[in-house]
Amino acid sequence: MDSVIGLLLDTGVDDDRALLLPGDALRLAAPGGPVLVGGRCEGCGERMFPRHPVCPACMSEAVVAAEMPRHGTLYAFSTVHVAPEKWAKPFVVGYVDLANGVRVFSRLAGTVTIDGPVTLGVAEVGRDADGRPIRSFVFAAEG
Amino acid sequence: MRGVSVVGVGMIPFGKYPAKSLADLGWPAVKAALGDAGIAPRKVQAAFCGTALGGMMAGQRILGRIGLTGIPIVNVENACSSGSTALRQGIMAIRSGEYDVVLVVGVEKLTKFGGGTLPLEEEDWEVSQGLVMPALYAMRAQRYMHDFGLTARQLAQIPVKNRANGALNPDAQMRTPVTVDQVLAARPVADPFTLLQCCPTGDGAAAIVLCATSRAAEIRADLVHVRASELTSGRYVGGYRDMTTPEITVRGAAEAYEQAGLGPQDIRVAEVHDAFSIAELLYYEAFGFCRRGEAGAFLESGATAIDGTIAVNPSGGLLAKGHPLGATGAAQVVEIVRQLRGEAGPRQVAGAKVGLSHATGGGISGFDHGACSIHIFAT
Repeated sequence: MDSVIGLLLDTGVDDDRALLLPGDALRLAAPGGPVLVGGRCEGCGERMFPRHPVCPACMSEAVVAAEMPRHGTLYAFSTVHVAPEKWAKPFVVGYVDLANGVRVFSRLAGTVTIDGPVTLGVAEVGRDADGRPIRSFVFAAEG
Repeated sequence: MRGVSVVGVGMIPFGKYPAKSLADLGWPAVKAALGDAGIAPRKVQAAFCGTALGGMMAGQRILGRIGLTGIPIVNVENACSSGSTALRQGIMAIRSGEYDVVLVVGVEKLTKFGGGTLPLEEEDWEVSQGLVMPALYAMRAQRYMHDFGLTARQLAQIPVKNRANGALNPDAQMRTPVTVDQVLAARPVADPFTLLQCCPTGDGAAAIVLCATSRAAEIRADLVHVRASELTSGRYVGGYRDMTTPEITVRGAAEAYEQAGLGPQDIRVAEVHDAFSIAELLYYEAFGFCRRGEAGAFLESGATAIDGTIAVNPSGGLLAKGHPLGATGAAQVVEIVRQLRGEAGPRQVAGAKVGLSHATGGGISGFDHGACSIHIFAT
């Protein structure tokens, strides 16, 4: 498992300039490896990723940052061959169900299977109009 | 509540018209619908125009071409349900008693974007991570295949059926039949979909003239009546949701049946939103045409063919007739009305007295779909 994640992480792990995420949603230098930071509503306990300024369940604006579990279960996936220019193709996407009840749409890596376990990593997913790499979080098949 | 009837329908053949403006796509459909109704343009008291990506004032641009102006014109955007949402607004305007005669037009020009997948809202965070519409439907297909044992060959039979129907429809964009082997051998788009399992991009327009039922007999004898006009939005869910059950359509179908006082056993012909092959199968179940998990077998039984018990997408559906977003919901109604009047020629569904149209769409995070509009019509 660690070897797969190792392959995904390139050298500039603390360089988030080209990351495709809102705000501080991906913490690269966290202890134990990268982690997604979503939200938790202090009003009703709803969890979310990414974090929004208002809770979709109770409309409270008391939404605080909350780390998401690094491991999840893959609900469904597809290998995509046709997509906008900037993406490196083909690529695999899917919905990952985390243990805290949040579902995350994500890029995927490795030999993934429906209901299989996946773990968070980071990888290059495309190039912007100036040819610079675009990176994002990627869940990889475990094992 | 006042009854509403359809007194005129018209459309242009769906296809690729890169040299035509949106206005010049739209007005011939309007003129055809007015001609079908046999009424003078000045009889129209209000107009509702549905377009997803056509830009501001689409209705004014179209109706300005033919002088149908100086009346209230409302432009409606609701993604793939734009045309059917415009229809619902038109129906409600008559039900309210405000107007007797209303025009509805749906229009879209997708060739202006070049080719490839539909441009989605970049502000949506899943889109920002690489979501495209084929991938969204493909994940539904993968999970359905996993859960219910649907095979790739069964899935490929949806475009085979709908392309065969489209070959009988002069208004369809794709008019050549295909085989299962051709579908499976086409280039991949988003697994398990090949190109032939995805609706084509194209341009089109369709129009409907509505009239209060109490006044409609002055216009024509063979009336088609609106029995249900339903619109709902998806429910936002941040966590687990079952992608093999299109919750927005399940809910919308129940509400539409209740409004009409009818059930799935009463529907003889249906135009449903087959943007991708799996969608039509999910909708067999959502509308109660067959039981959950049995859509593949139901298709293979021939039940949804033109000569089956419930003909689904006799026009060719989105897969063959085409899917110019805002025009789709209106064009579905053109087909249902022609079927119920017995005007559908070689693709006529025998004895069709009750029909249903269903347009749903809007791929945004947290929703099964953003919008869904269902209409039920009867003679």
